[in-house]
Amino acid sequence: MSAPAASSATQVPARGRTAGRGATFARVVASEWTKLTSLRSSFLLAAATVAVSWALTYVSANASSVDPGFDPLSSLTSGLVLSPLGLMILGVLVGTGEFSTGTFRSTFTAVPRRLPVLAAQVVVTAAFALVVALLAVGAAVLGIVPAAGSREINLDLTGDGTPLVLAGMTLYLAGMALFGLAVGALLRHSARAVVTAVTVTLVLPIVLMLASDLSTDPMAPAESGPPPAEAVVNTIVTLLPSGAGSLMTTPDISGIEGAPDLGPWGGGAVLGAWILVPLAGAAVRLRARDVT
Amino acid sequence: MIEVESLTKRYGTVRAVDELSFTAHSGAVTGFLGPNGAGKSTTMRVVVGLERPTSGTATVDGRRYADLAAPLHAVGVMLDARSVHPGRTAFRHLLAQARTHGISRKRVDEVIGMTGLESVAGRRAGTFSLGMGQRLGIAGALLGDPGTLILDEPVNGLDPDGVLWVRRLVRELADEGRTVLLSSHLMHELALCADRVVIIGKGRLLADAPVQEIIDRSTGAASLEDAYLQLTADSVQYRGRSADDSATTPTAGSTR
Repeated sequence: MSAPAASSATQVPARGRTAGRGATFARVVASEWTKLTSLRSSFLLAAATVAVSWALTYVSANASSVDPGFDPLSSLTSGLVLSPLGLMILGVLVGTGEFSTGTFRSTFTAVPRRLPVLAAQVVVTAAFALVVALLAVGAAVLGIVPAAGSREINLDLTGDGTPLVLAGMTLYLAGMALFGLAVGALLRHSARAVVTAVTVTLVLPIVLMLASDLSTDPMAPAESGPPPAEAVVNTIVTLLPSGAGSLMTTPDISGIEGAPDLGPWGGGAVLGAWILVPLAGAAVRLRARDVT
Repeated sequence: MIEVESLTKRYGTVRAVDELSFTAHSGAVTGFLGPNGAGKSTTMRVVVGLERPTSGTATVDGRRYADLAAPLHAVGVMLDARSVHPGRTAFRHLLAQARTHGISRKRVDEVIGMTGLESVAGRRAGTFSLGMGQRLGIAGALLGDPGTLILDEPVNGLDPDGVLWVRRLVRELADEGRTVLLSSHLMHELALCADRVVIIGKGRLLADAPVQEIIDRSTGAASLEDAYLQLTADSVQYRGRSADDSATTPTAGSTR
């Protein structure tokens, strides 16, 4: 491979030029947007999120459509068991991408103050995830249409708090991308961060639920409310990102048995804390330590 | 101009850089030499603000790197060819870097042309050979048309044509009045393109002088390589001994 001599470097005299104002926040955001949208993985995960959202909702709505009192709208959120996963991993990859590949050297020599990069990652991940979340919620709506049609039920998305459910779903999905970003930015190692985020959101709730089911005596009388062990497990599960996020999508239901009733806003606040706490840790680590 | 003053960088109990002082002047190519582990890369990382010095200072044109208003226009940096996301194309990688400073797409295309990467600019960086990665790194360093360039082993992995190109490039850049600090293990290469050489060993300054002066000063040295081997014999020999506990008597480089 041959290369021409650097003739165009001579166009501008050395040291003379101080173009622009350097790395303004808007420019760093533009740069991070270019990074996010120049990776195939971003679009694959976005597509997976939308596809899973549609498929799970479609299957679930069809399965329940044989029930006598079938309400297609109650199947809207059934995709949320898995659909947040894609966006969460997308967020993780934004957070770890700099460090797992060495890109941070190019990035932080261009933006030596470092923190604007993390802030810009939050902005572009939120924007990208919000668009994907809207598409995923749209896909969920499409998923219940055939089941509703088969029972000749007219879908009304404007009444009975349904707009709140749709908004909650969108925010939950976008929030999970930011949770992934926060964990990724803190841990900096893709495999470690994915395992941590998946454990906290998916594995832990299942394991805890199973453990509490196994430890509960099914023959015990149920009048006196849930047994203490179950109450503890339900509380923990509610306070995990997935549990808290789900509360945002169920404005009519007052939490699970034995767990504090946080409501959609409370659930949103808990998910917000799951985003902000690791993000703050990542910011401190980024600011105070060497990046190597 | 790059000024390093009494720079010390400690990792735990290890002093990677130890009271190092030197200056890389504008309008000159300064070669930065030393055995593996001598602290060259650490010094460069501290100069560009990726790491903080334990004590001492490192400045570019009188300012700490982190205080530069527009770093890409002041300093072009290539520390490691593997500073790219393997899933991103060369063009997108450079564009992302350029956008942090509002540098135009035209300039991105320009540096791609300068480094001879036109035909592979749309390929993902993960598919690049080491030499192509080096060219991409150099392209990134040239983006902001900076007055100072810091290049860590830029000719590593380049074909002979590429080595010649880098030699001419850094010469031209220095002749335009820019500061070039360049590390390399290729002595012949440095002897050909560097005006001045800074040699370090175990984090300490061993020599800082024009190439010819370093050769003349060493006893019986005919080339920069000879002089370098003499100067660094102690630091290298010392490491060899510590790596092999059962070593009896050191044989190599015992000139004293």
